[in-house]
Amino acid sequence: MSRTLLEMLASDTAAMIFRASILLMLGVLFATLASRVVNRLAVRRFSTHHLQLTRRLVFYSLLGLFVASALRELGFSLAVLMGAAGVLTVAIGFASQTSASNLISGLFLIGERPFEVGDVICVGTTTGEVLSIDALSVKLRTFDNLFVRIPNETLIKSEVTTLTRFPIRRHDLTLGVAYKEDIDTVRDVLQEVADRNMLCLDDPPPLFIFLGFGDSALNIQFSVWAKRENFLLLRNSITAEIKAAFDRAGIEIPFPHRSLYAGEATRPFPVTIVEPPPAQRE
Amino acid sequence: MSTNDEQRIAGTPAWWLPQTIPVGQTLDCRLGPLSLQIHRAHGEWHVSMVDGDEKDGDGCGTLGLRAGGIDGDTYERFMFSGSSAQLKLLPLLADRPVVIRPRQPIFLPSGEQTTMYLSSPLTLRLLVGDPGVLLREVPMLRLSDTWFGPSTREGELCYSGRTHARHELAEVPQRAHRAITPLHIRNEALTPLPLEKVSLPVPFLSVYGAADGGLWTQKATMIRRSDSDMAVLKIERAPPDFAGSVSLISGPRREQGRGGFVRAFNVLFGDGS
Repeated sequence: MSRTLLEMLASDTAAMIFRASILLMLGVLFATLASRVVNRLAVRRFSTHHLQLTRRLVFYSLLGLFVASALRELGFSLAVLMGAAGVLTVAIGFASQTSASNLISGLFLIGERPFEVGDVICVGTTTGEVLSIDALSVKLRTFDNLFVRIPNETLIKSEVTTLTRFPIRRHDLTLGVAYKEDIDTVRDVLQEVADRNMLCLDDPPPLFIFLGFGDSALNIQFSVWAKRENFLLLRNSITAEIKAAFDRAGIEIPFPHRSLYAGEATRPFPVTIVEPPPAQRE
Repeated sequence: MSTNDEQRIAGTPAWWLPQTIPVGQTLDCRLGPLSLQIHRAHGEWHVSMVDGDEKDGDGCGTLGLRAGGIDGDTYERFMFSGSSAQLKLLPLLADRPVVIRPRQPIFLPSGEQTTMYLSSPLTLRLLVGDPGVLLREVPMLRLSDTWFGPSTREGELCYSGRTHARHELAEVPQRAHRAITPLHIRNEALTPLPLEKVSLPVPFLSVYGAADGGLWTQKATMIRRSDSDMAVLKIERAPPDFAGSVSLISGPRREQGRGGFVRAFNVLFGDGS
């Protein structure tokens, strides 16, 4: 038994396997080292996403070369292997159309760069920070700390909003004031609120748009700009400040009003409160 | 706080010089709209600050040392294993350019030049020991943000400041929370230059202090050569002569790049852009 084992170890097959294993181990080692070196060299020049991509490319290319050499060492003919891989690719392609579609969509996403790792995006009803852009999917962390995986195909097909693309953002506030209010006074009060709010940008100036005559209010849009990081703070603070300023200035924010008429043009429906007769009270 | 145990620190006008605070004492500082109380305890420093709105005539800087702790219990604690008694209040200019909006619109016709005296709000670094260990950096006047650029995509975030843009040096008030920059503008373009908004790149400027408490920066020169919002910016190496005998308090936050082009003048936004 031990003799057979020794013979086998001494044989060419054992030597081939040994050499192939060494090549594989060296491959893993070199690929890891090379990807670390790339990481160090390119960390300042590349974006997080491109760095991740370059690192992976270097790692898998080097590893692939070493695996091919190991296979060759084991006696496999690479030409035959490549041919087999071609046939296999067609078969797998038919079987895994969704994955292939995601893969190609991923390539388009990388080329188009609508967002990068670290950006905040909104896809459908999901809003979150991009954790990674991978071959098949994009991973998001939502603000309630959920991990969401969105297939690349979905991103290519649907509308994606990148919230962190530009340094400043606009908050559109729609509000209604009572019909009795003077629009110029309302505009002045809103402008003063924006001037006093430190988070609200002076430039671009706040925008005041009279939207029209609503059912029970004069509808107004007031748009203010903020630094991207301060957007939520501004959104919360300005609403409270506008309410307080309107209260101080005596400007009414009306709730829907309904007037009942008895049929005549201007006379309201008569309502009289009557005491019930004594018999009914008992 | 009792007024009897309060003592004015000698040489208060130059409030940026290092102060020695014994254990158990509190330094009360009033620098423009910012009020600070800094207390030294055993192995720790306590800092309390209150900022307010800028009012006319509140530009003086006063320091007072008194026994006892901070009034109230809203303060921050900074722990040290062995703290030094030396405290330095270091004024320096803001980390972003300040967009100056003169109270009245100013126009500079083609071929003309002018010098304006602009005062920019300062921030304050609280440093303990030598070399100074940073406790806090606080703006002496809270400024509103603003965007300065031709569109909402192109431009930079700045601070917004209102100024009288005074033409005469004698009219410029010295205030503890603002440093004065002489800004010389030369319009070499063929069109008049509206100076409704001017971006003063304060991160490139140093702060100099005079013995009378006045704070200055170097003179900056902006030359507009074409009909655009860009200007060539030149910053002198030394403080202006008329500032008198001054010493460097803090250097620039950023070094000026090559070429010296800056987006300096106002750009009008369209509604809803």
